[in-house]
Amino acid sequence: MSMRNALLVAASGLAMASAVAFAAESPNFGRVATPEEIAPWDISIGPDGVGLPSGSETPKQGEAVFAAKCVACHGEKGAGKPNDQLVGGQGTLPGDKPPVKTVGSFWPYATTVFDYVRRAMPHNESKSLTNDEVYAVVAYILNLNGITADVDTMDARTLPKVKMPNRDGFVTFSRGN
Amino acid sequence: MTRDETSKYTITLPDGKSLQFVLPMEGKSVITQPSPGLTMKGSGLYEISGVAWSGYGKITKVEVSADSGKSWAQAALQPPVLSKALTRFRMPWRWNGGPGVLQSRATDETGYVQPTREKMIAARGSRTIYHSNAITTWAVSDKGEVKHVYA
Repeated sequence: MSMRNALLVAASGLAMASAVAFAAESPNFGRVATPEEIAPWDISIGPDGVGLPSGSETPKQGEAVFAAKCVACHGEKGAGKPNDQLVGGQGTLPGDKPPVKTVGSFWPYATTVFDYVRRAMPHNESKSLTNDEVYAVVAYILNLNGITADVDTMDARTLPKVKMPNRDGFVTFSRGN
Repeated sequence: MTRDETSKYTITLPDGKSLQFVLPMEGKSVITQPSPGLTMKGSGLYEISGVAWSGYGKITKVEVSADSGKSWAQAALQPPVLSKALTRFRMPWRWNGGPGVLQSRATDETGYVQPTREKMIAARGSRTIYHSNAITTWAVSDKGEVKHVYA
């Protein structure tokens, strides 16, 4: 290798090294999220209840949470208006009239009600409820729907065992049906 | 199953069961010109144009009818025709100034044909909202006004 070529190789090597350094320092390429950063986002709860946190509450405690945080949109005892109805509607799914789809009439799993409320409710202040408050309000809504008893405490063990009325009301879509 | 997988990606059938995880939008098309709000001004040559799309792949054919589905003619597709993408179709139409009923019907590369409203309701009832993909009908009056109608 001539001296000139060796210099060219060295120069291109330097250029590549500086490009790599630039990429690593560039603010636009980000970095790997830490486990601590991921944890608050990693809150999915499957139908089987895997992922449910500790905590437990009763419908009576849920009534207080509902009155403070939910009633303005979901109405007294979850009757609806101005937003979604949460209670009733059982028996309205068949037929040709608009069905009344509520937690009691439509939702297949109680566990995913917890997931949704914790993730999205109250709408103006999502993720603000404690796990106990979410268990409480889920217990209250299930009780209002007549699915659980007044004394039934909801927690990570009991919630997955709740049998929802429309549990078997779903058929997996495939082409042609 | 999230709330939206339960409430939005489902179709509740007349028997009360709900089809679940209905993720594809099946073949669909709509005429955008003329359409309600675009009043036609006098008889003569017009270009019927619209868009078609399918969650199953590419659009292979769009047919247009000006007589409420009694007769159909094949429209030209404007490239690029891409999978699961809006595809523009065009068809010249000589409007005689009388009442007309315009429809478009898409076919995709899997052979799926956009259904009539009657056929869609027979299969799934009248309560499919997000996944409603039936043929859309525009009625043209002798004044050139365009209205949405069921046919």
